[in-house]
Amino acid sequence: MIELLEMCGYETAEAEADLPRIKRAFDKLGITDGDIERGQQRLAKYYDIELKGVRKIFRLCLRELVNSVLAREDGKRKVIFGFMAPLFDVVGAAAMAGSPEVLAAHQCWAYLTVVSGIFGKNVPVLEAAERCWLKAGTVAHCANVKTLVGLMVQGRLPRPDLLVSTGYSCETAPKTLDLLHELYGIPVFCFDTCVDRAPREYDAESQRMLEMAALGMRTFTAKVGEVVGFEITDDTLRAVLAAKNEVNEVMDRLRDIRENSDPLVLSATHDSLLMALNSLTLTLGELPEAADALNTLCAEIQARVDSGVGVVAKGAPRVLTILPAHHADPRLEHLVGELGISLAASDFWFMVPYQGDKSDPYVEMSQHLQGSMASCLSRRIPLIIEGCRRLKIDGLLNTYHVGCRTVAGDAVMIGKEVGRELGIPVLSLEWENFDSRVYNQEQYQRRLEVFKSMMDSRR
Amino acid sequence: MWAERLAEHLKDRTAQLEESREGGKKIIGYFPGDYVPEELIVAAGAVPLCLISAGDASSLEASLTAIPNLFCPFARAQVGEKLLKRDPYYRLVDMLVAPITCQHLKKTAEIWEYHGDVEVFKLGVPHQHGHDFELEYYTDRLKVLRERLEAFTGKKITDEAISEAIELYNRLRRLLRQISELRRAPSPPVSTLDFVKLNHASFCADPAFMVEILEEAFNDFSQRPAQPAAGVPRLLLIGPCIGQGDYRTLELINDTGGEVVIEEVCEGIRYYWHEISRNGDPLTALAAGYLKDRVPPAFLRYSTRARLDFAMKLIKEFDVSGVIWYELLGCETYDSESYYFDRELGTRNIPMLILESDYGTTGVGQVGTRLEAFIEMVRGGPEL
Repeated sequence: MIELLEMCGYETAEAEADLPRIKRAFDKLGITDGDIERGQQRLAKYYDIELKGVRKIFRLCLRELVNSVLAREDGKRKVIFGFMAPLFDVVGAAAMAGSPEVLAAHQCWAYLTVVSGIFGKNVPVLEAAERCWLKAGTVAHCANVKTLVGLMVQGRLPRPDLLVSTGYSCETAPKTLDLLHELYGIPVFCFDTCVDRAPREYDAESQRMLEMAALGMRTFTAKVGEVVGFEITDDTLRAVLAAKNEVNEVMDRLRDIRENSDPLVLSATHDSLLMALNSLTLTLGELPEAADALNTLCAEIQARVDSGVGVVAKGAPRVLTILPAHHADPRLEHLVGELGISLAASDFWFMVPYQGDKSDPYVEMSQHLQGSMASCLSRRIPLIIEGCRRLKIDGLLNTYHVGCRTVAGDAVMIGKEVGRELGIPVLSLEWENFDSRVYNQEQYQRRLEVFKSMMDSRR
Repeated sequence: MWAERLAEHLKDRTAQLEESREGGKKIIGYFPGDYVPEELIVAAGAVPLCLISAGDASSLEASLTAIPNLFCPFARAQVGEKLLKRDPYYRLVDMLVAPITCQHLKKTAEIWEYHGDVEVFKLGVPHQHGHDFELEYYTDRLKVLRERLEAFTGKKITDEAISEAIELYNRLRRLLRQISELRRAPSPPVSTLDFVKLNHASFCADPAFMVEILEEAFNDFSQRPAQPAAGVPRLLLIGPCIGQGDYRTLELINDTGGEVVIEEVCEGIRYYWHEISRNGDPLTALAAGYLKDRVPPAFLRYSTRARLDFAMKLIKEFDVSGVIWYELLGCETYDSESYYFDRELGTRNIPMLILESDYGTTGVGQVGTRLEAFIEMVRGGPEL
């Protein structure tokens, strides 16, 4: 166990001190000694553990997971979980800044990174959810939502004082919260906006939509204040946002280095790690640790650029993937790299610049709605095409998460239009971004090999 | 007879609409779900046309070139019809008003928008309405729709015109409800299949003409001599939508010896169960009426309990002894909710059968067998 913790960025002394807590948390999560050994092997195989920055990110994920699982044992009086609630981490951090008795965490990013990414052991949790209302089969419920339900019904996470979600791009999450409330009495809250922008006059339309989102978020903050017993002020939110922006700046720098590197300096398996870090609910004291982890990683991959070291061969075909990397299983991204394809970027991070006033912290927090996934099809397709051109992309890996109607709904048109406009090969893969059971090595390998040969033949 | 007159009207309707269009009238299509006030369209001197064609596998096939089959068949049918361009009603549409309700219809609207040959207005629908700003947002979007319709038709929409249209549609809704409620009788004078078809007709017929027809139909049904109960299990059908043409399940239920006496579907009871207030500012009344004062659909936040309560009310009022949960394949909210309803109704000894439909492309025989077994089980009734 100590070795695993060291691979996850713990110093030996810290690992020894935290070991009893981590063991208790792992027991609750069903992680056995056999899993620990397997976890070490997976860490070594799928991630650049030799990079200190990567280890530091794993450490932050592991710590948040343990804190969530043991929140009640740790004496947290108020436990608030967010789920599919972008920028929950900002409000959560503000709540934790007001009282050490509050624990806020945005599920299930840390859980998926650790239990599924490292140990490959999320299936029993998914199956528990499928025995409830998120049944397996053609309805294709999102496995992220299944993970939350499985964790709740199995009691692997403590019962929260408030469980929060949004419906920005999802109906399953809010409906699931509704059912968790009706069936288990868990207090829940949803905040929303209307994603109804027209491509024409997009800036003005965005301003209207973001202002609506800001109003919704204010109701959320008020609700959190009600639960924790003190007001979450705009000043506290601004302080968290300032610290978060420092993290974001390094994240942007890191992405810039990676996306423009040849050979690719960091494999795509780390995309989900970066996304998890982006969504962790870190306190004001922890946010500088996140910035430090990313700064460390930036320096390390810059050193790789400078010395021409990469994770695939120089000149490998450059691919843009739709959606971020798999959140619960590093195998596909690893396979892509093994086949000599440079998975250089994801459209998930493409943003439509916002022209409106961001002085309201809530409008600032709602900027994620300017991202590719939240954009309407008529705006998203040009954004992707422009990104392909800018990044000199040779092919599009059009993975679409079947559990999410918002992203799956665009897949056919994206594939068609990118192929038509740019003439590059497009490989569409029906996919579940949170369920490791979809992985099919033989099928993926064959399709990726054909995809690569198509890209090679165009060069 | 009203039925012949209606059939004649519908037969000529597309020709009438084409003529109106040549005369400068605009045809405004909209998706069902009861969030697009026809009143505004009528007040603009345009023709509202609900796009509700569904039930045919070929439109689903056609849709696959634009949208994956994870989407509910109703949404895919709206994409398929758009691409096929075979349905005259769909070809007539000058502008589409698409309520942004569930993700399925949202994406459908975006695909229509991407094709760019028809103006699309996406009408934002707040998914909850517990705060003032949510109603204000919807009211504001209706104001923008009003302006857009004015610009599109070249006709000023006055408050008086909206009020008149509200009166017209209130009459239409009231009549539909009156006819629907006749099915409380032990032996209903109107079958649910006929009622659903009548409701569908109201979405494409001229509304003033439709009011006349519904009045005659109501009088006709009311005057039919009361029949003793036929001993057929009385069923409530709950689902997101019954498309125009999606009649196979209702037919199968009849064929297997059951009778749906009331249906809770978005384009049905949500549409006709409530009227719009005629007091105060008409646009405000429309916003409140369409957003708040209706049966909540499954996608609405915190709606599950309210929906169960409403179903229980229908079960009592219509003397229902079993529930058919008519789910469109891929609809995640109804699929989730089915678990809760099955469980809650089970505790009240009300049996429920879940049927998933992709418009008959799979297992009609299997559905029939399941229905037979269910109806057999239902005979005996609930212990309320």
